[in-house]
Amino acid sequence: MSSVPIEIKDSAVSSSKWLDAHYDPVANLYTFSSCITLADLHGDGENKLVVGDLGTGAGNMKLKVYRGTGLLSENTLLDLPTGLVSFLMDQHEPRTPAIAVASGPFIYIYKNLRPYFKFTLPTLEVNPLEQDVWNQARGDMIDPMTLKEMLEGIRDKAEIPLSVRSLRFLMLEPQEMESYVNLQKEQPIRRQTIITCIGTLKKNMADDDAVSCLVIGTESQDVYILDPEAFTILSKMSLPSVPTLMDVTGQFDVEFRIIVACRNGNIYILRRDSQKPKYCIELSSHPVGLIRMGKNVVVGCAQETMQSFTQKGKKLWTTYLPAPVTTMALLDLPTRGFQAILVALANCEVHVYRDKNVVSTIKTQDVVTSICFGRYGREDGTLIMTTKGGGLIIKILKRTAVFDDRDSISGPPIAQSIRLNVPKKTKLYVDQTMRERENAVAMHRAFQMDLSRLRLAAARAYVKALESSLTPMSASLTEPLKMNAVVQGLGPSFKLTLNIQNTAACRPVMNLAISFLYDENLYSMRTAFFKIPLLVPGLNYPIDTFVECLSDKGISDIIKVFVLREGKSTPLLTAHINMPISEGLALN
Amino acid sequence: MGLFDKLAGWLGLKKKEVNVLCLGLDNSGKTTIINQLKPSNAQAQDIVPTIGFSIEKFKTSSLSFTVFDMSGQGRYRNLWEHYYKEGQAIIFVIDSSDKLRMVVAKEELDTLLNHPDIKHRRIPILFFANKMDLRDALSSVKVSQLLCLENIKDKPWHICASNAVQGEGLQEGVDWLQGTDLSFYSRKTRCM
Ligand SMILES: Nc1nc2c(ncn2[C@@H]2O[C@H](COP(=O)(O)OP(=O)(O)OP(=O)(O)O)[C@@H](O)[C@H]2O)c(=O)[nH]1
Ligand SMILES: [Mg+2]
Repeated sequence: MSSVPIEIKDSAVSSSKWLDAHYDPVANLYTFSSCITLADLHGDGENKLVVGDLGTGAGNMKLKVYRGTGLLSENTLLDLPTGLVSFLMDQHEPRTPAIAVASGPFIYIYKNLRPYFKFTLPTLEVNPLEQDVWNQARGDMIDPMTLKEMLEGIRDKAEIPLSVRSLRFLMLEPQEMESYVNLQKEQPIRRQTIITCIGTLKKNMADDDAVSCLVIGTESQDVYILDPEAFTILSKMSLPSVPTLMDVTGQFDVEFRIIVACRNGNIYILRRDSQKPKYCIELSSHPVGLIRMGKNVVVGCAQETMQSFTQKGKKLWTTYLPAPVTTMALLDLPTRGFQAILVALANCEVHVYRDKNVVSTIKTQDVVTSICFGRYGREDGTLIMTTKGGGLIIKILKRTAVFDDRDSISGPPIAQSIRLNVPKKTKLYVDQTMRERENAVAMHRAFQMDLSRLRLAAARAYVKALESSLTPMSASLTEPLKMNAVVQGLGPSFKLTLNIQNTAACRPVMNLAISFLYDENLYSMRTAFFKIPLLVPGLNYPIDTFVECLSDKGISDIIKVFVLREGKSTPLLTAHINMPISEGLALN
Repeated sequence: MGLFDKLAGWLGLKKKEVNVLCLGLDNSGKTTIINQLKPSNAQAQDIVPTIGFSIEKFKTSSLSFTVFDMSGQGRYRNLWEHYYKEGQAIIFVIDSSDKLRMVVAKEELDTLLNHPDIKHRRIPILFFANKMDLRDALSSVKVSQLLCLENIKDKPWHICASNAVQGEGLQEGVDWLQGTDLSFYSRKTRCM
């Protein structure tokens, strides 16, 4: 396996924002984001990569340090690491940071990569009933079976849980019990908790190289803050659930904030001077990653979502991810004033988010389990990832890379943020508005008046039309008729079909005639007058006749149809037929 | 150039002046190399990271060099391009032991070669694969492979392994640079 940088192969990559500095698929690094950090361990301005390697299976836990592309050193760890941080514990020169590795109930401190100190969490209170039962066992007052029954009774109801010793005893087969009791009964009972997460908090200065306290979350639902030099407990706070992820800001002596994501799916915010959480954010699914961006918290949730909240718990946004989150990290480039969120997904992609917009997508060869971004070696924008299969990927952000919010795949369309060019209000508009405001009543009255006049005019015209039977609907009550006309043909011959219907309920109509009125220079009709047969109510009577257009000048006119009653001169109804222009020429 | 200078040039009293740009990532050893090329009485004792850039001069038997020693730090790299026009030769220094940042060096080199002020000029480029004394240093062949130097077709180039602290390999590079037809490029002709 060569450890030289892999070359850029396809052209798509060359336009990418990232340079592929190193990829070792068999680096044998098995770790999570909580156990990986970058630190200037030797004080030479060159940051090293420090990894708490969980190994495979039971053994092989190691503290590994990388320089550039190569492994610099390896220390064996006694137990699985749950968290790893680098911190400055004192003011001594040279100011090289110490490494704290949390595993089980212990924190192992390394200075110059040599074991320096071991901190043990204080033991917890033992259930007095449990103590009592074991005392009886020690005095051989009860046999192992009775001991088992009594411990089971305590386990089921007690406020204070049993110690590991009793729990292990309850798991034993009857034949193993005797020897276990004999071995354990002389020892004092200890109940110990374990560390679930670890962070650092500046003591009293905000500088980058200020001395920091360790902040630890435990399985016993507590958060402890430790003094950096003496490793005494400076402060203890309690949570309603077991902390799993933690972000710490501020200074211990001034003001600080600890944001903790807990196993019950809630996020709590602890502050100085409060033993209990100040705010609580209830999530709809379990938190997988927790990042603080300025004053806001961004949480990656188990249900393929990412959500942002203010530190007071107000939800800002939710974004839906294409795959489950495996881990998250902050991309912070203070020299360029740029911050974003790195989200590793189970589909072998790492997305860079600015707020809820994806600004860059990195495809990886394997699922990424840990991410770390920062200064590595001498390069400020280095992205370090380890994969499920134990690989190590190092990418460097190009100096010229710009993250354009607009090339995001999802998020709101750009059009939404473009301001419309609304013209300024003209003087005319303003004057008009003023006039309307001042004369509202008069204008309303004028409008109402005009509206009434319009209605009156319409009603008069209607009445007139009815009186002179100009409509195709008969107004007479004795002969309720309806007629419509259809013209067919292109010309010069047209077929005229009149559909006449008697709309009375049961009375037939008789003695009707039809007459046409037209310009005789333009049209000729074979019969311009004919009688209509008896009209049975409800039926439609189509009456056909033919019209000949005499002009070839492309003009047309109206043909008027009158339905007449024998012996009366006023028509029952009138229809005007707009004749179409004759498009054909008469055959002579 | 004044008339007197020109006269001195014709008479061979004055050496030909050449502007050289010294480029490369931070910590690659640019300042150390230039310091070694200066006469021993003018050499600085401590070398600190360059801020912005500094101008140094040294002479060889036939030429008088004015070197722009640019800072290689990320935030100063955008200064480089402002001096491309003036440069008649480029010295590009690579830390051969920094495998991780070889891609960054390549990226900066590619940006340089594609710059309009450089792209169409037959400007000679001298590469120093520096820090060859370090245990994990790559060979100059490997460095030229990683930087894809074989793709530079339209410019004379040369790569030397060097150890700037001891001054090894530097003379070979400067000799090559002198051998190239520098005077030809010193006329401000572009777009050949
Ligand atoms: N071992 C070794 N160290 C070298 C060599 N050349 C330079 N150095 C060391 O590398 C460090 C950086 O050298 P500089 O000359 O300041 O590098 P630079 O390229 O000018 O850096 P910037 O000015 O920041 O761009 C110094 O500590 C030098 O002593 C070399 O050939 N071998
Ligand atoms: Mg320098």
